[in-house]
Amino acid sequence: MTDTYRIPIISRGRIIQPGEDAVEFKGRGGATFIAPDPHKHVQDLVLGNPVLLSDLQQTPMRDIIDFLAEAGKRLRLEDNPYLQESFALALRAGGLAEPILRGVYDDLPHMFDPVAMFAQIDSTVGVDYLDGWVPSPTGPHCRVRAVGTRQLHITAGNVPVVAALTIVRGALTKSDILIKSPSNDPLTANAIMRTLLEIDASHPVCKHVAVAYWKGGDEFMDQQIVRTSRIDKITAWGGMSSVKHIQKFLSPGIDLTALNPKFSMSVIGKEALESEAAMEEAAMGIAVIAGFYNQTACANTRLVYVESDTDDASLDKLAELGRKVVSAYGQLPPVMSTPFEAPNKDLEAELEAVALEDDFYTVEGDTLTGGVVVSRFPDRVDFYDQLNNRVVNLVPVADLLEVVKWCDDTTQTVGVYPESLRDRLLDPFALAGVQRLVPLQGGDPMHIFRDMHTLPPGMPHDGIEPLRRNVRWVIDHRPLDTAAALDIAAE
Amino acid sequence: MSEAVLERSGLSADEPGRWLDDGYERLMAMSWRDCLDVQLRIMQRRFDELVPQVAALEKLARREGITAIASFEDALPLFFDHRVYKSYPLSLIETRDFPRLTSWLNRLTTHDLTQMDLAGLTMIDDWIDRLDAFGMFIGHSTGTTGKLSFIPRSQTELHAFRNCHNEASRASSGVNPWNDPIETFFPGYRYGHQMAIKMVSTFNIPAAGGEAHYHTLYPGRISADLMSLAGRMQAAEDRGELERLGLDPALLKAREELIAQGQRREQDIEAFFNTLFEDFRGQRVKIGGTFGDLIRTARSGIEKGIKPEFAPGSFIGTGGGMKGFKDPPADWESYVKDFFGIETVSMVYGMSEGCGFAPRCSHGYFHTMPHTVPFLFDRDMKLLPREGVQTGRYAFFDLQAETYWGGFISGDQVTIHWEEDCDCGWKGPRVGPTITRFAEMEGGDDKISCAGTAQAYNDFMDFVSQVQ
Repeated sequence: MTDTYRIPIISRGRIIQPGEDAVEFKGRGGATFIAPDPHKHVQDLVLGNPVLLSDLQQTPMRDIIDFLAEAGKRLRLEDNPYLQESFALALRAGGLAEPILRGVYDDLPHMFDPVAMFAQIDSTVGVDYLDGWVPSPTGPHCRVRAVGTRQLHITAGNVPVVAALTIVRGALTKSDILIKSPSNDPLTANAIMRTLLEIDASHPVCKHVAVAYWKGGDEFMDQQIVRTSRIDKITAWGGMSSVKHIQKFLSPGIDLTALNPKFSMSVIGKEALESEAAMEEAAMGIAVIAGFYNQTACANTRLVYVESDTDDASLDKLAELGRKVVSAYGQLPPVMSTPFEAPNKDLEAELEAVALEDDFYTVEGDTLTGGVVVSRFPDRVDFYDQLNNRVVNLVPVADLLEVVKWCDDTTQTVGVYPESLRDRLLDPFALAGVQRLVPLQGGDPMHIFRDMHTLPPGMPHDGIEPLRRNVRWVIDHRPLDTAAALDIAAE
Repeated sequence: MSEAVLERSGLSADEPGRWLDDGYERLMAMSWRDCLDVQLRIMQRRFDELVPQVAALEKLARREGITAIASFEDALPLFFDHRVYKSYPLSLIETRDFPRLTSWLNRLTTHDLTQMDLAGLTMIDDWIDRLDAFGMFIGHSTGTTGKLSFIPRSQTELHAFRNCHNEASRASSGVNPWNDPIETFFPGYRYGHQMAIKMVSTFNIPAAGGEAHYHTLYPGRISADLMSLAGRMQAAEDRGELERLGLDPALLKAREELIAQGQRREQDIEAFFNTLFEDFRGQRVKIGGTFGDLIRTARSGIEKGIKPEFAPGSFIGTGGGMKGFKDPPADWESYVKDFFGIETVSMVYGMSEGCGFAPRCSHGYFHTMPHTVPFLFDRDMKLLPREGVQTGRYAFFDLQAETYWGGFISGDQVTIHWEEDCDCGWKGPRVGPTITRFAEMEGGDDKISCAGTAQAYNDFMDFVSQVQ
């Protein structure tokens, strides 16, 4: 395998290969990347004149979706050399094990499914609003149109779907997007775009995507790009520090969507401890929601609150649930989750330290196979924000409603078992900041996984509707009598 | 064999805490390789005596399957890291559950703390007072990570601790703290159980010649309660629920005072030093403070045209690194010396978890003495050879710890020169000259993830803070 990867800039239908002025940077796993110097290509990355979006605006949604759908057919790992290269690199970066990563790549074509894409944009923005001006039903002298914008996307690289998602969302909102690739996945957005360019580099969708890598925190780049004359919207994956950094360059007129790092959890009712069968079912649910994608995603559970007393008999049952979770990790299919190849040293040290404290904690498993820390009192471990490698903390609480005190805007996904709990928790959790409640029932790993990942198109993301937010809503306000005339004409 | 070697070093295996009774000079003239046997013998004895009495050590030894120590290497898997000294649940502090907190601490010491009377306790500081009265000498950390460590030292180690502190200070400053009182200035708290403050006030007030000659910025004590609860109190205040924490009103008031004091700190520290410059002009003084305190004081003094003057034999005692102080002068030590008009800057290398201190020599290195057995680990926690020049994560065994386990792995990355060829003339493995924090992360990453873990957050911090 080569140690040096060439990463061209994708610039609105053109591929700019690294030439004489190329710069080199280090990636994960000892790989070296060579890319055109982004400092010298700022003009190739940004769209200074927003009126140049008119080609995409005039392209009917149907045509955009057909084009994306055609690309989707070609995004198959087995015969797409660009994807193969990005797959090899992502594998080497080491974030996900081979079978999981393969599964993620195998899912890429589904993201370009035409029916789903249409439903996604129609249920959020409305295709009519993107394709033309829509009169207000209660005041037809005013018409509204959703207009594409110029967007910068600072993407996350832990799961390659972010690259595909960003390209699809950009095209569906008829927007001009600039993707700043992450160093742990510098090629996926690139690979998808090169596939699109091969179909038709002159298609308006291709004319409005730029992809480049530059080092995070490169002030020159941010200062050049983040200007109201060049960017309307920013989507920053990664959170607080991303926002803080970008804020230096923000000014009114640039709308920032911060997709913060998230911290997810599960809540388990006392029924789970009442029978062997229920315990097995809950344990598998926890293992799936904690273990899928090897706990690298925002939706992965790290803390599990269990309705339980703290007497010795109850805690023994909790420990039993913990052992069953560790054993359930071993039953997860490799496409979903795998044991780790190397221990997580910091977390291992935390586990070793609390394992010395029998009075407070019971530790099962480790950072190679996955593990569980059972708190023997109603509080999470103090190192909860380091839980990784399929290690979760089981916390007994007398009343699951108390869990709201640990919820905030970072609490993205909450797994629930059994379903009978849900209605009691739903509204308080929603108010406390939780963004999604998912089921854990069923006992079969693939079934649970599908159940928690099957959403209708166009569902909110992290509590917001990114598509709706990334268009500009424009009013065409005409004289009242014009509207009356139009009405009469229409009759 | 060991008898012959014991003769070679001349050190008694019975009382390493008394090795400094006759001064540091003897130890600094000794080659560390001559001390290996006596060091190993003491380590073996500590293991044999402490395993049955220190529950946390016993559990670790059982888990590691270690029943005896035949070599230094055998003991290394048993070294504690900082997490062990703060492995209690934070909620014990919040609920001030002193019985469980005491039983947690009891697992780290040979003292039977279950016999201690806990009646009437409401504050962490009072709990530590009570422990000290029971025979302990507990020091806590600064809690920069949001949780205090508690080091289970006791009065048993106090003689050795004082020896180490005073002799390292004498070696590095040339001023004898045992019999040569010196007017002392320390721009911090006067009392408190935070280990560094506790040590400084315990040993430096006598060295200064009594309370009247020991001058501090703040007259009171640093509050363990406030430090341990700062994070939770802030979170509760944000939610408008500070009162619901059920804290002692005195503590809430103390917090408000602390915040006000923090806002005044720059002016206060300037006034403190100005008093020192005026009232003690021409006298012999010892001045303490962090690098940052000293640099800031020098900067603002130079701006205002202040020129301090002190008698010969004065010295500055400092340490601890820049700790986030931005933009220091290139040669900050000369800058500070020039401003204060003081030739000697005394520094020692040590940490709360050990009694021993390595004084800095005339050539800028920190020389360890035989009561501290130093080790270096690489990133994979493999022992680095104890020869030549090595850089790695610093660990040590403190032979003087009799009532708690002396093996500790620090978070410092240091260079050790194992060959005893320092031009200063002192022997012993020498550390330095620079000490940095050991970072787990390899540089150069800027991956971004959507998962809200500390790891992901740190990755992201790297991402945004690294400029090409």
